[in-house]
Amino acid sequence: MSSGTATALTRETVALPSGRSQVVLRGGEGPPLVWLHAADGIADDHPLVTRLMERHSVVAPLAPGFEDLAELDEVHDIHELAIHYEDLLETLGLERATVVGHSFGGMIGAELAAHYPARVAELVLIAPVGLWNEDYPVIDFFAVPVPELPDVLFADPAFKPPPPPAAESEEDIDVEALVTLVQGLTSVAKFMWPIPDRGLARRLYRIRARTLVVFGAEDALAPARYADDFVAGIADARKVILPGAGHMVPIERTDEVLAAIEEFLAPVAA
Amino acid sequence: MKFHWFHLMPYPYLPDGFRERYHSVWVDLPVREVYDPVVGHEVYNDYLDELEFADQVGFDGICVNEHHSNGYGLMPSPNLIAASLARRTRSAKLVIMGNSVALYNPPIRVAEEMAMLDVMSGGRVVSGFPVGTPMDTVFCYGENPATLREKYREGVELILRAWKSDKPFPFNGKYTQLRYVNPWPRPIQQPHPPVWIPGGGSVETWDWCAEHDFLYAYLSFFGYQMARKTMDGFWEAVDRHGLERNPYRAGFVQFVGIADSDAEAERLYSEAGLYFFNRCLHLFPPYVNPPGYTTPATMRKGLRSQVKAAAETFASDLTWKDIIERGYIIAGGIDTVLDRLTDVADTLNVGHLMVMLQYGNMPKETVLYNTQRFATEVIPRLRGRFDEWEDHWWPKDTLPELATPAPLTEPAGV
Repeated sequence: MSSGTATALTRETVALPSGRSQVVLRGGEGPPLVWLHAADGIADDHPLVTRLMERHSVVAPLAPGFEDLAELDEVHDIHELAIHYEDLLETLGLERATVVGHSFGGMIGAELAAHYPARVAELVLIAPVGLWNEDYPVIDFFAVPVPELPDVLFADPAFKPPPPPAAESEEDIDVEALVTLVQGLTSVAKFMWPIPDRGLARRLYRIRARTLVVFGAEDALAPARYADDFVAGIADARKVILPGAGHMVPIERTDEVLAAIEEFLAPVAA
Repeated sequence: MKFHWFHLMPYPYLPDGFRERYHSVWVDLPVREVYDPVVGHEVYNDYLDELEFADQVGFDGICVNEHHSNGYGLMPSPNLIAASLARRTRSAKLVIMGNSVALYNPPIRVAEEMAMLDVMSGGRVVSGFPVGTPMDTVFCYGENPATLREKYREGVELILRAWKSDKPFPFNGKYTQLRYVNPWPRPIQQPHPPVWIPGGGSVETWDWCAEHDFLYAYLSFFGYQMARKTMDGFWEAVDRHGLERNPYRAGFVQFVGIADSDAEAERLYSEAGLYFFNRCLHLFPPYVNPPGYTTPATMRKGLRSQVKAAAETFASDLTWKDIIERGYIIAGGIDTVLDRLTDVADTLNVGHLMVMLQYGNMPKETVLYNTQRFATEVIPRLRGRFDEWEDHWWPKDTLPELATPAPLTEPAGV
């Protein structure tokens, strides 16, 4: 979170009609685009978000719980999460939104569009979770040892971050960084544990948004075969599969993902 | 002081090279490959014999607990074991150190079974309500780690309200909705059996125990020196609530092995001790620490649950020397054992000492020997400690006369 450029994300807290508040990060100029982040939260040097900000006014809500776990107390299930996001879009005046979500954010985007079909005009799902097929299960992400996470998340060796150095003692552990990480994972777990399927397959038919599904061909977390399930279930959907990339395809193939999104959104901009 | 005999009921035939062959003793250790039910028949019966023997030789309580899908402890239902013990024991209290309340739907099931056991045993039940380990709750039983603790607490409050209520009532909870709460039977002990909260060391639990006047039992397997920080935290919470530091508010688990000398103790107990620490605690780290199980407050306090410590501590095999020096097992001649246990009582201020006298693959005759010596040589010497305090966390309505199981004879005819 170090970018000091003019395009850095700014942060605001939005009061919702439910009485809750919602942290929203914003940046860039152009037609609005809602970015729904993955389990890793929002870094303001996120390569894809940074690039999207060149042509869009990016609106990036921080998912409930990431800031403070108490935010989740009144969001009991996936339906209430969809209501929460609809409240937010209503409050922000986004009548017909363009929604782009990665991984867990893709699951939220699809659920939002299925619960409120009129609210989402364009939907981009990047390596989304939310569907389940026993023949190609989503891996148990929460049971991956930390040192093995890069292998699960990235397929392209060029992008795999080195594993964090092992702490020599308890004093060496950055507790606040750990708390932030764990709060994010807990917030995601609320809607993904133990299997990231809350019935989305039964609701996909409701999605009226033009939809683009993007997967890395080598996604080891959510296999790219799920792209076909999303495309089959959503009335107006197409897919782009990027070879050699994994679950972190927005980082591994930023240019290609950006090009696919801009091409998909071009009729809207024109 | 009171002394309780605690059985984990480990599977004693985990194969050699266990740590290399399997990645975890819990969650996904394949039962068909590792567990032999015919052998298991003997194992359960031996273990019940051992618990019943502890009753005969004068332990105050015999402890059972709940774990799932593992080779570490074979009691997915501690209530079944307690039910069996209710008929064959006479005086020891049945200290049930689990029902992991969030795993019962509805939690009223726990109120029913605890009351059944209390009635069957003549008012001898201590009702433990643990959250449960992450392996048991979130991995084996699929509970959501983000809501586990809240669901658990709501369940405990429902059970207590059911036991205290004069009449049926509706319950509109976040996790349980019941139009009619009216569990039968009700316990002999009124309004309910003593509630013990077995914990691995989370900050919230201390205040919760103090607020509700529950006993806090710290189930550490890593010795009283490591337990000090946790127990100090608990006693500070007791202070904060303006309560007395009554040692009977607290329980602690300690592994013990008694012999004629320290060298003899190694001969008798080292294989079983090494089996426990190197096989039964062979845990896959991610199963120990799923996101949400440990709260931010506990993370900030720098406390790590015992199971997490286990997974991290045992990256390599422990030796008997490690186990003794770190105090994980207090083993030796009687003077060594008395000296160390006195230190445990003083250091932690615990009135309820739960001892593990069986661990790992200890042979039954060794278990009985260890138990007998503890009963005759340790209990009488430490019994009077803390006599100046009254124990409010112990069954007080136990019936003076218990029904006797009838002899197994032919019916006399009518």
